[in-house]
Amino acid sequence: MLSFLLRRVAQMVPLLVLVSLVVFALIHAAPGGPLALYLDNPNVRPQDIERLRKAMGLDRPLAEQYLAWAWAFVRGEWGYSYADGRPVMDRLLERVPATLQLAGISALVAVALSLVAGVVSAVRRGVDRAVTVGAIAGISLPVFWLGLVLQLVFANQLGWLPSAGRTSFAGGGLADRVAHLVLPVIVLAAAHAAGWSRYLRSSMREALTQPFIDAARARGVREGQLVSRHALRYALLPFVTVVLLDASLMVSGAVVTESVFAWPGVGSLFTESLAKRDYTVLMAFLMCGAITVALLSLASDVVVRSLDPRLRDAA
Amino acid sequence: MRRRTLLLALLLSACTKASSGPSNELLIVGYDREPDTMNRYATHILEDIQSCVIEGLVTTDEHMNVVPVLATEVPTLENGGVVMRRDGGMDVTWKLRPGVKWHDGHAHTSADVKFTADAMIKGDWKPESTDGFDRISSVDTPDSLTAVVHYKEPYAPYRLQFLRGTLPKHLLEGRNIDQANEYNRNPMGTGPYRVAEWKTGEYVLLERVPGYWRGSAYPKIAKILFRFVTNATTRINQLKSGEVHLVALVPWDKVRELKDLPAIRLNRVLGNGYEHVTLNERHFPPFADVRVRRALAHAIDRNLIVKTILDGLVSTVDGPIQPLSWAYEPDVPSYPFDPTKAGVLLDEAGWIRGVDGKRRKEGKELAFTLITQSGFTIRENVAQAIQRQLADVGVGVQIKLIDGTTISPVWFSGDFDAMLHWWQSGADPEITTFYADDKIPPDGRNIDYLNDAPLTKVLYASDREINQDKRRALLQDAQRRVADLVPELFLYNTSKIDAVPATLRNFKGNPTNAGPFWNVHEWEIVR
Repeated sequence: MLSFLLRRVAQMVPLLVLVSLVVFALIHAAPGGPLALYLDNPNVRPQDIERLRKAMGLDRPLAEQYLAWAWAFVRGEWGYSYADGRPVMDRLLERVPATLQLAGISALVAVALSLVAGVVSAVRRGVDRAVTVGAIAGISLPVFWLGLVLQLVFANQLGWLPSAGRTSFAGGGLADRVAHLVLPVIVLAAAHAAGWSRYLRSSMREALTQPFIDAARARGVREGQLVSRHALRYALLPFVTVVLLDASLMVSGAVVTESVFAWPGVGSLFTESLAKRDYTVLMAFLMCGAITVALLSLASDVVVRSLDPRLRDAA
Repeated sequence: MRRRTLLLALLLSACTKASSGPSNELLIVGYDREPDTMNRYATHILEDIQSCVIEGLVTTDEHMNVVPVLATEVPTLENGGVVMRRDGGMDVTWKLRPGVKWHDGHAHTSADVKFTADAMIKGDWKPESTDGFDRISSVDTPDSLTAVVHYKEPYAPYRLQFLRGTLPKHLLEGRNIDQANEYNRNPMGTGPYRVAEWKTGEYVLLERVPGYWRGSAYPKIAKILFRFVTNATTRINQLKSGEVHLVALVPWDKVRELKDLPAIRLNRVLGNGYEHVTLNERHFPPFADVRVRRALAHAIDRNLIVKTILDGLVSTVDGPIQPLSWAYEPDVPSYPFDPTKAGVLLDEAGWIRGVDGKRRKEGKELAFTLITQSGFTIRENVAQAIQRQLADVGVGVQIKLIDGTTISPVWFSGDFDAMLHWWQSGADPEITTFYADDKIPPDGRNIDYLNDAPLTKVLYASDREINQDKRRALLQDAQRRVADLVPELFLYNTSKIDAVPATLRNFKGNPTNAGPFWNVHEWEIVR
């Protein structure tokens, strides 16, 4: 197991270097730069632009900029944000809890929903149609649109829930925090639950046709147990892989959800930084994203190996 | 059952909070973006939040007049505050208001004015623009309330030099201002408010400063909360649900949704900006012919565009200096909607209409690409209207939408035919940067690539004229010349519409980027 882990981690290093190169090149190739926004102000003169370009180190050759960035990055010096001059590390870290809270709760809700929907639609043919329609709706509704419609209905028309933000000012308490979570969690969870329930449904269907199910049924195992203990366990393997790999997509889904709901997480930081071409923040964000994806795929391998006894001895 | 009750309780508690209205205890502002820094000299975002904390020596009011704040009066030639030196330079004497204190109790003095000018001249940090400061040779402080600013040459916009206030010497002297984070996040000012809390990504909370120099009656509102809600639709939704009380700069296409809400009053002022189509003569040579430019101006029905697309919220304009400015000249050549005349002018210029309705000259079709920033519904609609109206006179237009960050380097490099956009200017009527022939990028904003010696001459003369009446006369000449040349197609003034609580008194708005918070100390909720 340990040698397996070490091997996988070693494989990650060249991958991350490659990712950093591509991302760096892409960000700098995108038109406009951190100084683009200054151009709109007629009082910012060319000498100001030149002065700022030098101050930001943007006048150096790209390769030099990359090497300086990479060397600093591995030493944990992530530089200062071009937008507000604060350390990039601080800017990212202060946003992480809000995103973890939103993405984490949404993931739990989505897993719970997809478990119920996936199993029920695999077992009860009658319910299947209704669930399928719901799932397809969930997959195809744009996050952006769903968020705005929910705001209109629940915040503006009915007035039951706050439309955006993480807390009401001076509201503070637990109830207030929960109320602010409801809509963004619904939006973020809906998209994922819909997709995941389809995976679970098909792998449950497949599981139920396996010979060991017939064997168990022949042994007199009750239907309920057959589904929950025998078939589900088998069907969970691909499901867990998908969920863990998708968990990183949760964060990219959060980018849109967070900007619709003014949620103060890393997602809205990313949209802001992208519009301002805040290179240092963007690089740190994208590298953290790449590292997270790599780690989650490692985690899904580890979990699947522990769930599936056959794989344990294989490596 | 119990769970259901709990949920209901949660919902109820949430909605009671959402509906609490504005009061003199708390006013909640829905704000479109988080400030980058609270340092007014370094920010390149509207200074609304900053201006509640840091006061300028002057500010500009709702009529775009320059009014004194920390100065006792605005220096002019007439009151002796401005003296032209024999060596060609000028001296501006700022008299500071006595008894003004920084929030930590230190006196605000002429040493702070000198420190600010020195820091800007030195420029070893990242101020957004050092415009004007680079013409200052030195600042003298004969006493603690008098600062004499020595300019190397006449500088007409001198009155706005310290619009952004002063930097506190006692706090920042000898420090790297870019990295003085406690100042940049929570600045020391003299204004009615200070930053109580800045929760990144969520809000900035301002609280009243006791002992404000205007007296204990000010400010009337105890706390102002700026909530960051980037998405415009969400921001308007929050306004409608009462979660925020005030939204500055409501997009014109959202005004209809807010018109009939009893809790909201829409405050409209003329803006100091104008929407127009820039015609790049260098990139698309047919624009170099003034007859073509005049024809295009005649071909566009601006009144129809304003009436239909903009719901009549704005008014058409014929030049770059806006009606609110003291230098505005209304009596200039204008180009009323007249497609027949447009056709005649194009014929004269040699662009003859073919059987397919398109105009050609020496086999080349008269067709250009119009770029504009994506994401503005109104602008996209205006671009389409222009495309249609020009098609009617045989001119082809292809529209290209470009996102906000990408479009700036495009126009700065001059790589476009025509662009639909606006300029938003400060209160000073300087337009040299837009039209002088040596102000093409990267040296200025002359992206029409206009090359007109008489205009350039009068513009530079106006920049060096300190006497306001003489400067007005020069700028009036310049405006007539600009209107005659039509280097760009002038469309409409960019009105500023702010949605404020119906119970808010003394909200006046502001045409410039100084922002509507310039008189926040006198705002008051009256039920």
